[in-house]
Amino acid sequence: MTVGFQLPDVGEGIHEAEVVRWLVEVGDTVKEFEPLVEVQTDKALVELPAPTGGQVLEIRYQPGDLARVGDVLVVIGKGEERAESRSEAGGPEASAIGRVLATPSTRKRARELGVDIRKLRGSGPAGRVTRDDVERAVQAVRPLEVLPPAVATEPERPAGMEGKAAPSPSEGEQRIPLRGLRRAVAQKMVRSAFTAPHVTAFDEVDVTELIAVRREANSLLAGRGVKLTYLPFILKALAAALRKHPYLNAHMDEDRSEIVLKREAHIGIAVDTPDGLLVPVVRHVDRKSVLELAEEIRTLSERARSRTLDAEQLRGGTFTLSNMGPIGGQFATPILNHPEAALLGVHKIEERGVVHGGEIVIRSRMNVSLSFDHRVIDGAEAVRFINELKRLLEHPNLLFLEMSAAWS
Amino acid sequence: MAKLNLIQAITDGLRTALRDDPRVLVFGEDVGVNGGVFRATDGLQEEFGAVRVVDTPLAESAIIGAAVGLAVSGMRPVPEMQFAGFIYPAMEQIVSHAARVRMRSQGRFSCPMVIRAPYGGGIRAPELHGDSPEAFFVHQPGIKVVCPSNPYDAKGLLLAAIEDPDPVLFLEPMRIYRAFRDEVPAERYTVEIGKSRTVRAGKDLSLFAWGTMLRVSLEAAAQAAERGWDVEVIDLRTLNPLDREGIAASVRRTGRALIVHEAPKTAGLGAEILSLINEEALLYLEAPVGRVCGYDVPQPLFALEDLHAPDAKRIMHGIEKVMNF
Repeated sequence: MTVGFQLPDVGEGIHEAEVVRWLVEVGDTVKEFEPLVEVQTDKALVELPAPTGGQVLEIRYQPGDLARVGDVLVVIGKGEERAESRSEAGGPEASAIGRVLATPSTRKRARELGVDIRKLRGSGPAGRVTRDDVERAVQAVRPLEVLPPAVATEPERPAGMEGKAAPSPSEGEQRIPLRGLRRAVAQKMVRSAFTAPHVTAFDEVDVTELIAVRREANSLLAGRGVKLTYLPFILKALAAALRKHPYLNAHMDEDRSEIVLKREAHIGIAVDTPDGLLVPVVRHVDRKSVLELAEEIRTLSERARSRTLDAEQLRGGTFTLSNMGPIGGQFATPILNHPEAALLGVHKIEERGVVHGGEIVIRSRMNVSLSFDHRVIDGAEAVRFINELKRLLEHPNLLFLEMSAAWS
Repeated sequence: MAKLNLIQAITDGLRTALRDDPRVLVFGEDVGVNGGVFRATDGLQEEFGAVRVVDTPLAESAIIGAAVGLAVSGMRPVPEMQFAGFIYPAMEQIVSHAARVRMRSQGRFSCPMVIRAPYGGGIRAPELHGDSPEAFFVHQPGIKVVCPSNPYDAKGLLLAAIEDPDPVLFLEPMRIYRAFRDEVPAERYTVEIGKSRTVRAGKDLSLFAWGTMLRVSLEAAAQAAERGWDVEVIDLRTLNPLDREGIAASVRRTGRALIVHEAPKTAGLGAEILSLINEEALLYLEAPVGRVCGYDVPQPLFALEDLHAPDAKRIMHGIEKVMNF
């Protein structure tokens, strides 16, 4: 008897997923619930367990292939059927001697990195665990397939991205297969840019008082090992402003031609990681204190960089904040985080000479760039939203009035 | 500075020792009037007289036995075995006496002698003329074993061996006696016993060799470089005591090792070096340590001897095996 394991709906309403890495090979015996394969859905890596014990008879999708929900990924044989043994690989199978095969230097590396080598599936000859296997395992709790080097051959082109015959790489260029997170970012950006008519509004916020408030808060908190950045304050101000301007906190439901106003402030934070852009979501910004927000931003950013975010932490945002201050630049025209209706980019704080109270004085100023979906929001509404945000950030004491302003 | 080949460097070393130290005596079969079958002692009897450069009967046991007595009595004998394969009749004198004098006398006497012996195949000689017996002597505590691979080291190691207070077996790679020339200083200098030399630095694999195997190993390393493998070649120079630190440090750096010797594989010196790596560098190994050696047969006659000693091709195959593990 054989069982075809279908790509399940892994809970995000997704239709397809990319196979990233097989944790078993044809011929392997698997136990029920043993991890089989890693698939990448909307920016999240998901490990799928075996639905039943048995022997892996056939693997139908290779790493890089896109599979649709319901497609059979792998066939598992129960009972008498046996697949071709792969003993020709040479050397005893790990399972045959009951030990993991690995060279001493690999074992040492695993010990140094705190990786339990017995839990790894070796990719080397005869199932040997290699140094790469160990180092991949440590990159994340759930290992992420490293993109192949540019010159590596690309045996199969991912479905849905058909093109002409694969060009051979020439001296003057490097070809990087669009895989994994990069592909997810690319697809999402194309969808957003070519469905929502984008408009970006710029403004300048006076944050002189906010700086003073933050400085005072940090000096009061000095003994507690907490250091606040500007982000939690901005989040708090955003939640208050969004409450007054619900169209900025909305999704566009294209299928039903409806604008969906969200009653909760779940604000995504764009995080730059070595693999690409990730946007973990801070939930219920309206209900949390500045301190709680600070802690949550820190945790989410760390998990984004180590690729250990859960799928749940990457979905459900109602608005996105992109902090470009640490990197630089004065303005940007960000692409919306589809299907959200608006996104705010904040830029670095600078001292500038401005007219304030009838005099030219030096004040701390910060540029903001607000992109919005013109199907949902008109320019006037966007500017009113920015004005409200400015009012709160320029008079941070007003944020006290928002302290218990949970929406519902 | 004179450019000398290996045999000339040895003659130069012997001449330096005879000139500087009246206790030094050179003797063996045909070393006097004839000047040695390989010309190692050419002109020495003329220069230093028949009392210090002496022809002996064809009796290896007597040659070494006399040397033991002379050494214990305060002389610095440098006996020659015409070929290393002729050393077996003298085993008893070397193992039972020369190597044990210091311990037997609880340190009151030592046995400062240097046994010179051309070793290895490749010169189309008859039976017993091509042996590589280093492992027999490395196994015997109390006697040092050195083996130069070039003219500079030959003179420097020979003088260091003659200065050494204990017996030293000085193995000469006869196949490369005249293969190439080096700059060899005319004055006295020594090469420290117990220190290996990195002949070619590399980061992917440590290749250990000595004597005749050095040049073929370097050839193989050059071939490996074409394949993108950066092989470090280390000339051990002293086989007992081994340069434990030098060997271990290199393997820790490269993670891979290959040992090349002409002697048969089983219980050859490669096995000892492999054990040393196991003891000192196991956790750094990326692959099993490889050995490319002579086969487990008595040294074959000349029709087959080229098949017996490792050549660059066999060494390259050994490198491949370790690199591709």
